Amino acid sequence: MKKITLSIFLMLGIIMSLPQDLPAEKQLTALQILEKVDDVINAPKDQDLKIKLILVDKNGKEKIREMSMLQKGSDKRMVKFLSPANQKGIAFLSLPNDIMYLYLPAFKKVRRIASHVKNTKFAGTDFTYEDMEAIRYLEKYNPELMKKENDSYILQLKPKKEVKTDYSKLVIWIRADNFYPFKIEYYNKNRTLYKIMLREKIEKVNGYWISKESEMEDLKAKHKTKMCIVNVKFDSGILEKQFSKRYLNR
Amino acid sequence: MKVKLFSIIVVYILLCLFSLPVNAQNDNSSDKGIKLGGYLQTDNRLCLKGDNEFSWQEYRLGLKAEAKPLEKARFYSEVWLRSWGFPNVQNISDLKDKNMVSTWNLDLREAYVDFYSFLSDNIDIRIGRQRIAWGTGDKFNPTDNLNPYDLEDIWDFGRHLGSDGFKISYYPGDFTFTVVYIPLFTPSVLPRGNWASALSQPMELPNGLTLGTLTDTIDLPQKNLKEGSTIGIRVSKNIFDFDFSLSYVHARDQLPLANKITFIPTEKHEEVDIKSQLIYPRMNIAGIDLAGAIGSIGIWAEAALFFPEKIKMITDLSSLGMGIHESVALDNKLYIKYVIGMDYTFKNGIYLNVQYLHGFIHERGAANLEDYFMFGLEWKLLDNKLKITPIAGGIEIKEFKDIKNNYAIIYSPMITYYPFDNAEITFGLRLIDGKDTTSFGRVKDYDELFFSLKYNF
Repeated sequence: MKKITLSIFLMLGIIMSLPQDLPAEKQLTALQILEKVDDVINAPKDQDLKIKLILVDKNGKEKIREMSMLQKGSDKRMVKFLSPANQKGIAFLSLPNDIMYLYLPAFKKVRRIASHVKNTKFAGTDFTYEDMEAIRYLEKYNPELMKKENDSYILQLKPKKEVKTDYSKLVIWIRADNFYPFKIEYYNKNRTLYKIMLREKIEKVNGYWISKESEMEDLKAKHKTKMCIVNVKFDSGILEKQFSKRYLNR
Repeated sequence: MKVKLFSIIVVYILLCLFSLPVNAQNDNSSDKGIKLGGYLQTDNRLCLKGDNEFSWQEYRLGLKAEAKPLEKARFYSEVWLRSWGFPNVQNISDLKDKNMVSTWNLDLREAYVDFYSFLSDNIDIRIGRQRIAWGTGDKFNPTDNLNPYDLEDIWDFGRHLGSDGFKISYYPGDFTFTVVYIPLFTPSVLPRGNWASALSQPMELPNGLTLGTLTDTIDLPQKNLKEGSTIGIRVSKNIFDFDFSLSYVHARDQLPLANKITFIPTEKHEEVDIKSQLIYPRMNIAGIDLAGAIGSIGIWAEAALFFPEKIKMITDLSSLGMGIHESVALDNKLYIKYVIGMDYTFKNGIYLNVQYLHGFIHERGAANLEDYFMFGLEWKLLDNKLKITPIAGGIEIKEFKDIKNNYAIIYSPMITYYPFDNAEITFGLRLIDGKDTTSFGRVKDYDELFFSLKYNF
């Protein structure tokens, strides 16, 4: 009898120690959740996007930028500015192992981007060069499950030791039904919240989930960048070689 | 004959290539029309010394046209239409010539056609007038020796003319091989006005003589492939996260070199006129460059090994009864120019760029290469609407053992304001100090204030 009572207490103890609202039998680990996130956001073999960026300053004044973005798998991305005129032709290439290149038409040269540039603003937007990289979160961050709400998971991501980043942590809200992240908080090295990204209009296109509108807000500068997907093509057969310096100035 | 043959081959290749549309009508290229763009730029400079004259007034309309008629072909051109503020009027008849009253010029900077995946999937070619920018340095590139310098504006470092030729790029695996061929020689453009004195050594006369007039003639290379052509080969690869390139260029020096000087006595006592003859020596240049990062600091380095042909100098003093002397204007001994640089962006957004350069554009021969430290510090403020460059410039040192008498300092702070998209207004100073023994020390009297406006469309 004593053994049975002890066992019941032990089981209760284990259940009580689990995060609230999480039924023990359906619980996914933080690693499993983040793996699913990576799989969902990088599900297409390739992506061809036309994007409109709306930069909004603290007075509500807007600036418009247009760009095209190609992505292959989860680790190669090419971004080219289509407008305004003074940024047209600027191209950015992100490759695995933190290798990034920038093509500036005025100099007729492809320049390697060192990591000190990664944390600077990308062409005046609230996205940094690091934010523009194509990534799998699991490769850069150690996840920790903070909470499970009715329809979402909240993970805290801390960068792995070997990862060079200016973020001390990310807190990421993930839809429980499709594992698509819809809110990300970015904390700087001082552990202060300084940017928030919200993803809206999360829709399924050709079988893949995508957010057609997102917004990155710099809380200190009170500046926002809205990113609207104008056109999207998935699995159009983009070639591996298109993610090379050769294609940066085409 | 060879030029004719070359022209025929080029025309034939072009005809073959333009026949490609037959196969390419089904391309899904969405942007087949011509895209036009460009900018208007005004540049005004005022001397701070003397009578505060304007030293520069340029109104430039840069026009760019680009077309992608096929997925595998692209056309690009850039033309500058420029008006110079200073009338070139000397007499009444000049006033009847509008070009003398309001001087202008048209400059075809680039006009080329790209053919992608030409003959092989891994080959791209570019034919026409083009800028081929080699090297990893920031505006100072010892390995960038294919296009002639355009030194018209001495402060626009790194500007080159376009060259008429072709470039073949081959991409096997992680390597990039580039071959460039430019059939005919084009000389560099020298700085306008007094700035040319920065690039020329003062003339040394025998004791007791004074200079009357100085005239010169330039012997351009013959207009044939043997004498005038430029060849460049380059191979690039990423190794250990650094981008490396090796290059070789067979070209002519981009700036002329005097190989004969004749002294002619004038009617005045102890005064001589000097006639000089200049040529463009052949050069073989081997280059190496790299770019990457150490920690979070961006670094680059570039070195060019120059193997010049030997050029004799003939000094004809026979009119003075002192005979003809022969010396060496340029020895066929190796010399190396190099640049090492780094940049870094601090957490507060301040950007720092520092370079050390050994051997400036016009310097030749190991003994004549000087040292330059270039630096720039930028800070973007007010939501990127304002860029302040409080520290920018360079230090030239001709002789480390006697720096006090062999230095020049250039200090050029500036402020750029971006009132709205596509527009920028820049206001700044260029202050120079130094000794006459140095290149920039010779132009120390030309401090200036500058104001420029640019609008892109």
